[in-house]
Parts: sequence; structure tokens; C-alpha cells
Amino acid sequence: MGTLDTEVLVVGSGAGGGMTAARLAEAGRQVTVIEEGPWVDADAHEPFSLEEMVTKYRHHGASLALGNPNIAYAEGRCVGGSTEVNSGLYHRLPDSLAADWAARYAIDEFTPAGLGRYADRVERDLGVSTLPGAPPPSSAMLERGATKLGWRNVEFARVFRYDASGRGTKQTMSRTMLPRAVGAGATIVPDCRVQRLVRDGDRVVGVRARRRHAGGAVERLAIRADHVFVCAGAVETPALLQRSGIRHNAGNGLKMHPTVKIAARFPHPIDHGDVPMHRITEFAPSLTIGGSASRRGHVAMALADTGLPLEDALAGWENISVYYAAIRSEGSGRVLAVPGLASPVVTYKLTDGDLSRLARGIVHLGELLLAAGATELHPSILGGPVVRGMDGLGAWWDTLTRSRASVMTVHLTSTVRMGEDRRRTGADSFGRVWGHRNLRVNDAALLPDAPGVNPQAAIMAIAARNCDEFLAS
Amino acid sequence: MLSFERQVVAALVGSDDPAVRSSVEAFVDGSLRDKPEHLRLGVAGESVVLGTYVALLRALGRLDGDEALRALLRSWENGRIGVVRQYVRAMQALVVFAENELAPAPDRAA
Repeated sequence: MGTLDTEVLVVGSGAGGGMTAARLAEAGRQVTVIEEGPWVDADAHEPFSLEEMVTKYRHHGASLALGNPNIAYAEGRCVGGSTEVNSGLYHRLPDSLAADWAARYAIDEFTPAGLGRYADRVERDLGVSTLPGAPPPSSAMLERGATKLGWRNVEFARVFRYDASGRGTKQTMSRTMLPRAVGAGATIVPDCRVQRLVRDGDRVVGVRARRRHAGGAVERLAIRADHVFVCAGAVETPALLQRSGIRHNAGNGLKMHPTVKIAARFPHPIDHGDVPMHRITEFAPSLTIGGSASRRGHVAMALADTGLPLEDALAGWENISVYYAAIRSEGSGRVLAVPGLASPVVTYKLTDGDLSRLARGIVHLGELLLAAGATELHPSILGGPVVRGMDGLGAWWDTLTRSRASVMTVHLTSTVRMGEDRRRTGADSFGRVWGHRNLRVNDAALLPDAPGVNPQAAIMAIAARNCDEFLAS
Repeated sequence: MLSFERQVVAALVGSDDPAVRSSVEAFVDGSLRDKPEHLRLGVAGESVVLGTYVALLRALGRLDGDEALRALLRSWENGRIGVVRQYVRAMQALVVFAENELAPAPDRAA
């Protein structure tokens, strides 16, 4: 068994782990980052392509939360985590939510102003900007539909930097915080999965891990650490805690943004290389409308959701783009590490109210797309009628049922909530796991609820805040 | 990948191009291998049960060829049994995504 010693061990290298590694390494701490997935050149594959699915996503992008209905979800599993595969949309945590969470979960020093200062720094660190020039057609359709209906909409900023020619580069963790961490002396160990934490009383003294080497050889590693930050995401973080015997409020309370989609045909070609930047905020934060990845594979999958013959629907696919309606859910789920299984069991229970909100969401999305000029709408409902005019939308209210809806998500949060109310949280106001002096969580698991927007900005601001508290203490 | 899963993929792939068919099968195989154990076990269990049923139909002469299997899958997809419906939809999603991402340039333009 190989051994390794470090002052700070960071498990996971996504938005939380990347930020943690950079902050602590630049503060002079000796940092080692362990990442379960491989180190993949950020430019190696086209965004959202099949190759990217295979190399950068957990379970080939086909993970599943069991329930009625099952909910498909996707998360990154590579150096940089989900920041390598997401759309890069950036949205600060709304002030009202920060204030609400602080009050409901008794989170210390969690003010909108304080988080705003961290968000400022995150934006400077990453580079957050809007698209130079006019939006692509897929995004302009959202703007056009919203304008016609009088709905609020906004072009979201993204974690992109643009060169003089307007070419954008997504500022993923592997391009930003992780190189900074390495520059400050941190070590990154890819292809290394932590099996469990090694505990000694109220301290964690290290971890047991397995590292896969090129050629398939597996090396067992015992890593000793003075401090451990678990940043493996809202599914794997509680699973690791559970595997290590830490179960207090770890894994329950999973939150997400359940999402339904429409494949919309327009009378003209639509771009397919990027994700639309516009979002409809008229119903936010309870309901958000936006655009999805729409490569040919995504368009075909969305069209197949209705169960109608695909070949006919796919004809002229260049004119089709995929859009979504995502809700803040009152339901919740669980992550459960089962002995003997490498992957945790994930469940999620949608409430009847959630289903109703999803139905409302898909009808609103349909209204918007028709107003934008779409000529044909294919909903993610098995047997859901294809709609060509406003009068057809009402049929979706009745057809979006538990057995017929195709629901997915990409945002999972809240499995180790933060706050001083021990009955409802798994970690204190700064991510320290209850009952453990040197074990912290610093990722999406800490968020008390799904924020209704892409959570990357909130995750990074909170992670930076928690690092400062750690350094100060 | 189990025998019946290979049959399902073969029935669902639309392309006649052997290279595409082979690549789609490889992608589905990889996806199934990469699934969490409990989900893989569930899919495998369904494959065994449904595969046995299909084998029985074939033995009785009531099912012949890919087109007949495709029709049977369509009926399952729209049927009343949730787990069977989800099985078909899950396999179809993998096939549809892979086939359309792997389609050669001339097909894409079609």
C-alpha cells in the first residue's frame, strides 16, 4: 500500500474543490487534491458530445434518481468536475434566498452583502461576462418570445473569457483555480477514488483510496492529512461520509431542479454548438425557462420522448432546438451508500405540487416558443401531443403525469446542509461536519436548498467564505 | 452486455452502416457497464425476463426478425407496465443519442 502525507486533503476538484484547493494553497497550506475521474484536456472534445459523455461524465451521463417518476441526472467525473461539462451560466445566489437560508437554518455570517463580496472575487478570479455581439438564434428565440409576451428575460453572464475575435473559452476549474493551486504548490492526483475516511475519535486522520494507473493497475493508497475537505458533490460527498460511519444528516434532504423539455421546430436553421444564454425570469425563482444543449443527439433524444416515429420528426433537425422549464421543487430525496456497492442509491420524491408546477412550466415554455415563431413543439411527455398552435397547449396539462413525464436535472444540492440548527444540518455554518474537528464539506451539498438557478456561483462563493474562516481559525 | 440487450440495440439502430451499428453497440455496452450496480442489476434482470419471453415467442413462431422485435418494443414503450416502459425508453435513449452523434456527415445532412 502506498502512503502519502499532506496538511490539507481536498476530495474532489469541481467548483467547491477547485476553489478550496486554490485558496488554501495560495495561503501557504500544503494541499493535495484527489479526483476520482481522469484529467482530460479541456479542449479534447466538443462540448456535450458523445466523447465528452464517455470521458468526463459519471455513468456516461446517464445517472438516475429512483422515484415516481425516475429522474435522470448528469454530473461531471473528471478533474474540474461538473464545471468541465456544464453550460457555464453564472448567476449569483439571490439575496432573498441567502437571507431566507440564514434565518431558517441559523447560518452564521451568511449575509447577502458578505456573500456578495465573495461573489465579486469569484467573478474576478474566473472572468464572468456576457456574449460580445448579438446572441445566436437559439438564444434570440427566447428573447423574442419573451418580448412578445411581455415576460422578463435576461441574457445570463457566463464563466467565459472572450478573445478579440469573439471566441469564448469557458473558465472551468481545470483552466482556472486548479492551475492556480498547482502554481502555489498543490498536488492533484487524478483517477483516485476515496473508499473511506479514517477516523480517530473526533478527528479524521486520513483516507483510504484506490488509484488507477495507466494500463489498469490499481494502487491502494493510505493518505494521512491534518485537515480533510470533502468536495465530491451532492451525491458522492454524503455517500463518502456514510461509508465512513458519519450519518447525521448526511444524505437526506437531497434537492434538485426537476426539468422538462420541448424540442421546438422553427422555420429557419438554429445553431447547435452552444447553449442559449437567455433565460426567462418572469416566474423565477420557482420556475426558470431556458435552452439546452442541442446537438443532433440531444435533439433526437428529445424528439424520441413523445414516442412518435423518430425518422419523420428528425427530418430537418437543423431547424430544431431543445428548451427546458426547471422548477424549484418542494419534494426531496436521499443518497444512500449501500455496503458492497460502489455507487450510492439515489432517490427523489416529486410531490403532486411539483408535477403541477412542471405542467405549468411546460405550458409556459410552449407559449413562449410559439410566440417566438416555433411551428412545432415536441414535449418530453410519452404520448404528449405535438403542438402547432396555442390552442393545443392545454392538452399537456392532462398528459404530464408521473407515468408519462420524462424528467431530468443537472443541479443536485443540499445533502449535508450547513447551519447551526443541528437537528436539520450535517455541518456547521462553515461546513465543519458535526462532531469532527478537522473534517469539512465544501461543495453543493452544503446549500440548504436548490437555488432555482445554476448553483456554481453560490457553491464557489460559499466555498471561498468557508476557506477564509478555516484560515482565520 | 447480455444477448437480449444486444438484440434490442440491433433492433433500435436505424442505420445500415456496420461501423455505426458497431459503434452504437459499443457505446450502449459501455454505458450499461458504467451504470451503478443496483441499476445495472435491475436492467439485467429485466433483460433476462423480457429476453426469455421473446425467446419463447420466437420458439412458437410468433416473432421473427428485427422488425417484429421493433414492433414489440414499441408496444412495450406505450404499454401499461412502468418498469418495462422505462426499460425500452432507457435503451432507446442510449441508442438514439449514440446513433445521431455517430452518424457520418452525409447522413447528418439528410
